[in-house]
Amino acid sequence: MTHVVVDPVTRIEGHLRIEAEIEAGQVTSAWSSSTMFRGIELILQGRDPRDAWAFTQRICGVCTTVHAIASVRAVEDAIGATPPPNARVLRNLIMAAQCVQDHVIHFYHLHALDWVDVVSALSADPAATATLAQSISDWPESSPTYFTGVKARLQAFVDRGQLGPFGNAYWGHAAYRLPPEANLLAVAHYLAALEWQRDFIKLHAILGGKNPHLQSFLVGGMATPVDPNSQAALNIHTIAALRSLIARAKDFVTKVYLPDLLAIASFYKDWAGYGAGVGNYLVYGEYPMTEGKNAPKYIPSGVIRNRDLSKVEAFDDSKITEQIKHSWYKYDGGDDQGLHPAVGETHPTYTGPKPPYDLLDTSAKYSWLKSPRYDGQPMEVGPLARMLVAYVSGHERVKELVGGALGALGVGPEALFSTLGRVAARGIETQVLVEKISDWVDELADNMGRGDLRIHDSDRWDPSSWPKDSSGAGFHEAPRGALGHWVHVKDGKIARYQCVVPSTWNAGPRDAAEQAGPYESALLGTPVVDPEQPLEILRTVHSFDPCMACGVHVVDTKGRELARVKVR
Amino acid sequence: MTTADRIPLLVLGLGNVLCEDDGAGVAALHQLHREWDLPDGVLALDGGTLGLALLPLVERAEIVVLVDAIRGDGPPGTRLRIEGADVAPAVYERLSPHQIGVADLLGGAALLGRYPATVVLLGVVPASTDLGLGCTPDVAAAIPGLVDDVVAELAALGRPATRASVTTGPPRRVDDAALALGL
Repeated sequence: MTHVVVDPVTRIEGHLRIEAEIEAGQVTSAWSSSTMFRGIELILQGRDPRDAWAFTQRICGVCTTVHAIASVRAVEDAIGATPPPNARVLRNLIMAAQCVQDHVIHFYHLHALDWVDVVSALSADPAATATLAQSISDWPESSPTYFTGVKARLQAFVDRGQLGPFGNAYWGHAAYRLPPEANLLAVAHYLAALEWQRDFIKLHAILGGKNPHLQSFLVGGMATPVDPNSQAALNIHTIAALRSLIARAKDFVTKVYLPDLLAIASFYKDWAGYGAGVGNYLVYGEYPMTEGKNAPKYIPSGVIRNRDLSKVEAFDDSKITEQIKHSWYKYDGGDDQGLHPAVGETHPTYTGPKPPYDLLDTSAKYSWLKSPRYDGQPMEVGPLARMLVAYVSGHERVKELVGGALGALGVGPEALFSTLGRVAARGIETQVLVEKISDWVDELADNMGRGDLRIHDSDRWDPSSWPKDSSGAGFHEAPRGALGHWVHVKDGKIARYQCVVPSTWNAGPRDAAEQAGPYESALLGTPVVDPEQPLEILRTVHSFDPCMACGVHVVDTKGRELARVKVR
Repeated sequence: MTTADRIPLLVLGLGNVLCEDDGAGVAALHQLHREWDLPDGVLALDGGTLGLALLPLVERAEIVVLVDAIRGDGPPGTRLRIEGADVAPAVYERLSPHQIGVADLLGGAALLGRYPATVVLLGVVPASTDLGLGCTPDVAAAIPGLVDDVVAELAALGRPATRASVTTGPPRRVDDAALALGL
């Protein structure tokens, strides 16, 4: 038996460490651990709830808007503020844009290198690459000259010995299966996506003033003035700029991202058989279509259990608990219970080994993540959960695109419960959102046209208008999945704050009943050809879009380090 | 400034201000703006943890000075200067929380053939990058020296800063990187 350890390098949102046991070339057990304490909840106690979003958006330097949204919604729920339609539409725009941008970056810059062998691209024939590109898309940049240029640029990069983002990977690994031309195509679009995201970022700047630390959020609405005739507001010119940015984004997603995804997936269909995970899916829902707490949402909420695609249960937030039997926390009432986040506790008590260490004692507490459970069960959150719930709920566009992708790959719906399904769902969601987003621009323009310029509910701005003691919850579908903030406001100050983030749902440890979390389950049965280069483990973990980058080193059962390879 | 303009000298304070010493570069940047007037051609911005989102700025810059927390030899508060070809490996291996973003940023500029002619990294060794507001005492004590390092670097590059005439009163606005993206 070989023991593989995927260990952290970065703390963007908390270290992620995976320990896995491998027998006969397959993962037989896996443990997911976060090795960094994230105590934002403690920083917020005693602060003005109207400022909470500005702190929470810095929980993670990368996905900032998501915590801002969840936070303002939680506080609005607690104090009874209702954002007007323009604020709802602007938030939808910002959230959808964030999701589109994150998904494209994830595919090309964080995940593609698990499937694409950059070094192999150097032996590609540019003319054959052009033929391949033209056979899957009518994207204009697909000439032999273009691919000759990309290949030369890559060659020069390699010759200089500065591989940069391509430096730490398993080039030549037996699990890479794309022909050189497909690899060159993917490298070309890696660069194209880099250019594209520079352009798309402008959308955040127009909507929010700056990115990623947006300044435009306000409890009760938004701070962005809307006025068709004002230079200093969202006006007819910015509407036109938004339309043009969105059109370019749609073009890129439709003609580059989705065709690439399907082309690459066609070489890795066996990955529709790995990485299934817990088989339970939770979605809070997102993009409210009208005002008020029970507004219908464009991406519907719901719960699917045991891979049963015949029905979706209604989401009930009272069924959420967080457990800590295997987490480095104490609960006042004992560590075997689960607490709802509204009464959640954050008492850190580290009992793990003193770093540096070889292995965690996974029979005891082994993670800084709690174990969120829904009705006592582990749940996967994220694009796959959202697309499954939407598919079963009868979302027309999602059904079309899921059906189209399954047809193109010649696989059935059961293929969705997999590593490949997760990758495909992310692409499908990107397509759905990049198409929908222009409706919200139209809605904003229509409101302006009708003279409805309201952007903020100021009735509840002054703390004297608030209840003396109240609680609220804010739910958001972040790119990575279901995000919830819970706030207790007392005498105008934050008395308690709890965040349950998507990566806690997906990467959390075993619970009091020893049920494994989604990462831990998804890794079971994953083939590992070479334990010194556990590329396959990364494929499945990265398919969830973990917010933590990972370094990998491999130790044998005695804990001796055999190899260390940093991977992103 | 339009997005097409070249930036002769770009100073970026980097880091997450919620993670104690990780925010040292941002703290130094704010102090620089409070105490010094910068000459034409120098753009000094709070880059936070923007990472790849800073690419539109970096690719237009002739010279980039990164100010950041760096893991390195020496006790917390030790100041380091890294230049040229050593910067890229340093951001892969030695920077703290946001390292991947900075590595992506430099890698992206290189891949697109738009790596700045000169890149200098001025850093300080952190004591703690755990969650928390403000730097630890050793690192906070090193911030004025880090600001001096930036000022010395500007002088050596032929663009000396001058002491701000007024250092009291309300803090001057520090341009945010994204605002400077020309939008």
